[in-house]
Amino acid sequence: MIGMIFILTYCVIGLVRIILQLPKDDRRKFFLSLINPVTMMKNIRDIICDCLLHVKIWKRNKLLGYMHSSIAFGWFMLIVIGHIEVFLYVPHRAKFLYYPIFFRYFVAETDTTLKGSLLFFLMDFFLLVVLSGIFLAMIKRIRSRFFGMRRTTNPSFLDLVGLYSLWAIFPLRLLAEGFTADISGGSFLTKSLNHVFTAFLGNHVNMLPTWWAYSLALGVFFCVLPFTRYMHIPTEILLIPLRNAGIRITNARKGLAKAQVYSCPNCGLCIDACPMGVMKTNIKDTTVYLNRQIRRRNENRIEEISDKCLLCGKCTAICPVGVEGDKLRIAQRSIRKYGISPDCSSIDTSGLIEECNFSGPSDGKVLYFAGCMTALTPKISRAMCSVLSSAGIQYEMMDRDGGICCGRPVMMAGRVEQAEEMIRKNTEIIKASGASVLLLSCPICYKIFKEKYRLEGIRVVHHTEYLKELIDSKSIRISRNDLKYVYHDPCELGRGCGIYEEPRKVISEAGELVEAGKHHKESICCGGSLGSLSLGFDKRQPMTENALNNLTAASPDVIVTACPLCLSTFSRYADRPVEDIAEIIDKNMARQA
Amino acid sequence: MKENIIIIGGGIAGLEAAGQLIRLGYNPIIIEKEDHLGGHVADWNCLFPDMSSAEELVSKLIKNAAEANIFTNTEILFINRLKDNYNVMLSNGISIIARVVLFATGFKLFEAAKKEEYGYGIYDKVITNRDLEHWFNTGDDSRIDTDEMEAIGFVHCVGSRDEKAKNPQCSKVCCITAVKQAIEMKQKFPQARIYCFYMDLRMFGKKYEDFYISAQRDYGIRFIRGRVSEVSENIDGKVIVKAEDTLAGKPVKVTLDLLVLMSGMVCNPDSTKVAGMVALPADTDGFLKSRDNIADITSSPKDGIFYAGACTGPKTIPETLAEARTAALNIHTYLQ
Repeated sequence: MIGMIFILTYCVIGLVRIILQLPKDDRRKFFLSLINPVTMMKNIRDIICDCLLHVKIWKRNKLLGYMHSSIAFGWFMLIVIGHIEVFLYVPHRAKFLYYPIFFRYFVAETDTTLKGSLLFFLMDFFLLVVLSGIFLAMIKRIRSRFFGMRRTTNPSFLDLVGLYSLWAIFPLRLLAEGFTADISGGSFLTKSLNHVFTAFLGNHVNMLPTWWAYSLALGVFFCVLPFTRYMHIPTEILLIPLRNAGIRITNARKGLAKAQVYSCPNCGLCIDACPMGVMKTNIKDTTVYLNRQIRRRNENRIEEISDKCLLCGKCTAICPVGVEGDKLRIAQRSIRKYGISPDCSSIDTSGLIEECNFSGPSDGKVLYFAGCMTALTPKISRAMCSVLSSAGIQYEMMDRDGGICCGRPVMMAGRVEQAEEMIRKNTEIIKASGASVLLLSCPICYKIFKEKYRLEGIRVVHHTEYLKELIDSKSIRISRNDLKYVYHDPCELGRGCGIYEEPRKVISEAGELVEAGKHHKESICCGGSLGSLSLGFDKRQPMTENALNNLTAASPDVIVTACPLCLSTFSRYADRPVEDIAEIIDKNMARQA
Repeated sequence: MKENIIIIGGGIAGLEAAGQLIRLGYNPIIIEKEDHLGGHVADWNCLFPDMSSAEELVSKLIKNAAEANIFTNTEILFINRLKDNYNVMLSNGISIIARVVLFATGFKLFEAAKKEEYGYGIYDKVITNRDLEHWFNTGDDSRIDTDEMEAIGFVHCVGSRDEKAKNPQCSKVCCITAVKQAIEMKQKFPQARIYCFYMDLRMFGKKYEDFYISAQRDYGIRFIRGRVSEVSENIDGKVIVKAEDTLAGKPVKVTLDLLVLMSGMVCNPDSTKVAGMVALPADTDGFLKSRDNIADITSSPKDGIFYAGACTGPKTIPETLAEARTAALNIHTYLQ
């Protein structure tokens, strides 16, 4: 009872605080979304799918999915049916919240309860479902490998208290209801239990302590809940409508960020997903531990964890509740106080504006921004220029002789103001150029151009997309060879921008495409990411080697990627050629004599 | 009957050791995978700091080792350890049994194309130190246009002291080689401006420092402290080099007619392969691991196997020759 009151007030206060912490615009957006019937339906659907049935976990691993949904959905149904019972049989008691829980204790079986037919059967059935879930959870604690998880989270002390009380609730309930089965009725489970252990369960002296133990376990669970990982149960219900309202993380600790941190169920799926996990020392730097440290306000560790991350976004992609590990970290970086803040406002753009300028109408004219990483891998820009010339495209390079950074690396470092300065400068140049297409061969640039630049009337395309268009429109013709290619999804292009199919179609034109062990949104970061501010080369090498092993699973002849940074990182350690998609196309292009 | 000693590698270390072993009364057998002896030094034109001829040095060494059995164009298929002997099977079908095997397998020049940002193999006017020596020797390189040579650049530490290139070690000789080649180019093209982009100049050897000072004072070669950040090509096919002058604290950008990359020394994969046949360990830098890096650099951890020269790490020619003699003496003591 105390547990119940405590948890309810705690949740209400938490809810109000998070909503108050949202910026004003977002708050409006949130409330509007709540009354919008479309998002409302989506909210309800998501809450049922994610919170009760755990559809995302099912998709990942059936056993893990069953464990979660059996506990969550089973318990939910127990509560619902419990209430129905109370409403049906003792309506005058319905105003007491605790009544359904102890229904069996208070109410003796009468004729109206139909000798425990349907409802009692259902109660027992769902209790069995929950018990099976708890049983699986216990196995998972001992051997997580059965559930497809190589590693799992190390629970904190309070988590353990919560865990054991949760485990205790249902067996105790079974026992408690076993006592009362001969008085207030039960069904196949509780009744038979009562019959089998008549000596113990038939003795009513034992009854009261068991019911007390049951209610205590329940009370303890609810009392510690806010301080444990089980806080994700109520928080996720809030997170879903927030997410569906299209709200983004704007503050490192408040609002949506807080909702995400508290929604983390500490399941540890991100531990196996994290590319840094190849080195054991990095396990405590995964998103689940970041969330824990943020809850504990351990600033030193928060800083360390946020800086180390490669920002590959894989934890975000696989998180069953939708915690955005990468964005959360960028937000933590953005509140850092730096001694020096470079001022980029004095960079002169006039030279660049003059250099890349088309005359006449802008139809189909391409401005190619190679970016700084491509400047270090000149093979890519060469190949791309050669393809553009062969296709007869009118193009100009925006940074032939050095340009301005796209802003994404500084953005990743959390220095939003500097990034915005660069965005302003580049926007000036691009708008003045008179081009209608901005072409990028670097996914890091592509992501920020796509998301943060306002370039009305100018289409931003990555070269994988553009190459596909050129092939589709028959501007270039590809001759096939008999090489086997594997495609590596660069983090920023795949998970970052959702481009998976275009590069695969382009490569299939040139040769046979095979898939890596893990691909698409499960692709493994090359380890060279700009995202990490603190990882040294020696620390990155095992990650790159791990990613290469994954790529060469189907023994391809050539590793193809679409990111200059992945290219140079992989070429360092690869045992076979690593090429950019533009090079492949340039090499296999059927040129007119 | 003279005792056989197998020497793997016919570079200067192998030749010098063979010469010494002949004098000590043994029968050295040199196994060389290339078609000529002398190794990397045979590709060089003249040697610092006295500008002596590489060819003369190599032919002198070959003359001293003339009595040895020499197999060129020959590789090692496998090595077996017998009780006290090693049985070496060669690609020409011969197998040799000997109590002692000397590794003089040397190094490999870093593949400059791996540092893609320097544009070797992509831009026309980018060559390596070896290409330049080849041109000194033969005058044959289409990339070097003698009519148009206004500015030349040398990039130090290409693939040496570079974690990104997987080679954190210093190659020792490239600093002084760059100074030597810069002086030679200045002698050939007195009008040309010559730049050396370095991060540190390690002028440790005899007369190196004098050589370096002379390069600045007498030849006007400009030394710019700072790593090259990127290289690009302009419409005329010239290379544009961007670097940071860390002493002046300013970025520099120069247009060059020729860019020479000072490729460093890395461990020879063939050496690692052969060493693997007798389970010899590699050190952290990939080169072969000696029994003791200070007191006993020419001994391997295995009895009867010795090292000489750059198979244990980058070395200068005098160091290599000295090691070859040490190894010969160690072998002699071992066999007595």
